Amino acid sequence: MSTASILAVALLAGCGSAGAGTGGPEEGDGTLPNYVPLTFAEPDVPGINGAPDGYTQLPAEFERQFPEAPGSGGTYTAMTPLWGAVPKTDGNQYLESVNEAMGTTIDFQITDGTTYGDKLAAVLADQSNIPDWVSIPTWNFPPRFGQAVGTLFEDLTPFLAGDAVAAYPNLANIPTDAWRSCSWNGKVYGIPFPAAAGQRNAAFYRSDLLPDAELPTTAEEMLEFVEENHADGHWGSNDLWIFATAMFGVPSKWKVVDGELVHRVETQEYRDALQWMADLYATGAVHPDAVADNAADGKQRFESGDVVITADGVGAWHEALSKMRPADPEWDMAALPYFAAAGGDPVLYKSDAASMCSYLKATDDDAQIEELLDAANFLAAPFGTEENMTITNGVEGVHYELDQNNAPVKTDLGRTEVQPTFMFLVAPPEIVADPEKPDYVEARVKWQNETTLHEVEEPFYGMRVTEPNQFASLDQPFADLEKDIARGRKNMEDLDSAIETWRTSGGEELRTLYQEILDGEADEIADESAEVDE
Amino acid sequence: MSSTTEIDEVRDAGRPGETRPSRPAPRNEPPARSRKGWRLRLRQDRTLLIMCVPAVGLLAVFAYLPMLGNVIAWQDYSPYVGIANSQFVGWANFERVFTNPLFLDAVVNTLTITAFQLVFFFPVPIMLALFVNGLMTPWLRNVIQSVVYLPHFFSWVLVVTIFQQILGGAGLLNQELGKLGLGGFDMMTNPDTFLLLVTSQAVWKDAGWGMIIFLAALSTVNPEHYEAAALDGAGRWRRMWHVTLPAIRPTIILLLILRLGDSLTVGFEQLILQRGAVGAEVAEVIDTYVYYQGVVNGDWAFAAAAGLVKGLVSLLLVLGANKLAHLFGEAGVYKKA
Repeated sequence: MSTASILAVALLAGCGSAGAGTGGPEEGDGTLPNYVPLTFAEPDVPGINGAPDGYTQLPAEFERQFPEAPGSGGTYTAMTPLWGAVPKTDGNQYLESVNEAMGTTIDFQITDGTTYGDKLAAVLADQSNIPDWVSIPTWNFPPRFGQAVGTLFEDLTPFLAGDAVAAYPNLANIPTDAWRSCSWNGKVYGIPFPAAAGQRNAAFYRSDLLPDAELPTTAEEMLEFVEENHADGHWGSNDLWIFATAMFGVPSKWKVVDGELVHRVETQEYRDALQWMADLYATGAVHPDAVADNAADGKQRFESGDVVITADGVGAWHEALSKMRPADPEWDMAALPYFAAAGGDPVLYKSDAASMCSYLKATDDDAQIEELLDAANFLAAPFGTEENMTITNGVEGVHYELDQNNAPVKTDLGRTEVQPTFMFLVAPPEIVADPEKPDYVEARVKWQNETTLHEVEEPFYGMRVTEPNQFASLDQPFADLEKDIARGRKNMEDLDSAIETWRTSGGEELRTLYQEILDGEADEIADESAEVDE
Repeated sequence: MSSTTEIDEVRDAGRPGETRPSRPAPRNEPPARSRKGWRLRLRQDRTLLIMCVPAVGLLAVFAYLPMLGNVIAWQDYSPYVGIANSQFVGWANFERVFTNPLFLDAVVNTLTITAFQLVFFFPVPIMLALFVNGLMTPWLRNVIQSVVYLPHFFSWVLVVTIFQQILGGAGLLNQELGKLGLGGFDMMTNPDTFLLLVTSQAVWKDAGWGMIIFLAALSTVNPEHYEAAALDGAGRWRRMWHVTLPAIRPTIILLLILRLGDSLTVGFEQLILQRGAVGAEVAEVIDTYVYYQGVVNGDWAFAAAAGLVKGLVSLLLVLGANKLAHLFGEAGVYKKA
């Protein structure tokens, strides 16, 4: 047995110090909740291949899904991230109105999204202070989470598996892939904040400031596009690393070449993307604050027009329009269509089917879990229901008014109080709905539809693999190196050296482990180990 | 308390420096006598001791008790299973610390920054105090004193932002240079001048605050010494050299020793805020490395081992410097009774 096999045995037997999950359960094995779609409103801009449906207007009538509040009056704490101004939670009429409609009170601990991962690591390390309901973005899973999840959080499989989910019809309306993304060690632990198919990140440009822009179709043209638009008091761009990785088709972790796993840092695509970034920074068109690695103010630089091209999560699109348009109706932005670096169709790797998963603190009290699942079922009310309208916009006359087009326009209080709080605990399948901004709805769904045409799955798509702890810091040098090479502080020789260090300090063992999981050997090894243990 | 022996002990306790040639204490004190003295001293100092109890209690609970957590440095620690269930791995974490090139790089960066700041930051508060103390106009002295110590109350986020807004590539200075048609520069992202940058920031933020201690020391100098020196013909510089500096020398040495103890702590927040701008190669210090390794990557045991090594080296530096101070006849941080 190879060293890696021995390692895998230790990991998969579940009795070592570090556990490794080999992925989520499969559809049809009775573990995942059965998918039973619900529709309350027909879209006018339909999504394709699983992309979100678009709604440019609200339904004429909303259906009331819960005649009575489903909760039994319990009070629970919840921890969620927020990218934006954190609203006050005491005396917040929006939170109070949703809590009242739900019949269950959720006391929020809202934390700045940019530092959420750091806070999570500390909160989860202190088991006595874990909130009752914790939202964890898929990019913020703390180290050893696969080992911790069963200790800290409730296994929801008995409550939701298969037909059991029928007791919560709105949760049954969430697609299966999203549930798989929230599953660990073959069990369902998390409740999804689902993400529709289509890319989650985009390069945006200020279409109002560059109305006649000739959009780039190759990496070379993209470079020129940024450089040309570094003019008239505008900087060309913020950091564009996430766009570069998509343009060059860099996998997020592994790629299979001739049946063998190749890590992202070893790929030619990664090397090319780094070289392109170095070329981009060398133009001098990147805003100096972005060069100084100040990403937090990147949105503000773009929104103010200080830079005209940026890369961000696709959610930033609606966020920026909502923020800027009330003061400047002409303010606009658009997402660049994806293209391969050399031109033509790009290779885009599928994103997680859940952007976040929320977890319920482990307890012996089944009634508590059932009440929280009732609350989740309420919060997952689909578009077209009264409940969804309240969760999305608050209370009519308090948080929003309907305009002549029957579109909700937020009041000052609505803009302050109605923030993504409940949404980050659980949400219905993703849609794009904004009667106030029909141009945005059409552009967004069209862009996202287009990206689904070029999406491929990575070898471990939908699987949650918990790596041994000693490999946790293997990627850190590359996070630094990406910044260093882009800014011209290091070069490709440093990359070669870092790859060699990665290989000798655990990378090869990691590759073997993943290869065995990929080949299906890991399960056999685990079985053998279990037999030995017996 | 009526016996002659006890009265003698009270007298001994009241005059610890005096010797009693008529009845010299034997080398090996009889246990009974020693115990009595201890009890008596306790009774005498009971008020002070009671006053100390809350402080000692706080120290025990918040400083000494948590130190027990350092045991994770010898474990493959996972916070999710706790100290009790984490496996002991002997010195493996320490071996990893000493063989990890990234940690060693962080140590080199830390020592470089601390040495640079010892030369270019430490004397600044002293010079500032001498300057402010020399000002004859009280209101001017107060204004300067207030202005220079206020930045101490700014957070590092604010300090770095101010520097970025002034010296950054899109900052005020570059904008003005651009208007004049001169080429710009970006000091905030230049690894070659990073040492200068962090030291300038530290000076701007904390030199005024550091000055206060030296001003307090200067206020204890007897004015008659200056008058006597002046009568002997000493000029301004002579008075500073022969009166002022000797008066504050113990304070300088005390602070220098304390600074040495902190020499491996060069400012976590200040550096982590600027690490991305100049790169880990120059900005990774022990504290930021421990943070990334422990909190971000979840290798808590490794981080604890690295932190312990740092603490041990700091302790040795303080003890060494204190010993050196004693050899040169200075009081240092403490003296054995």
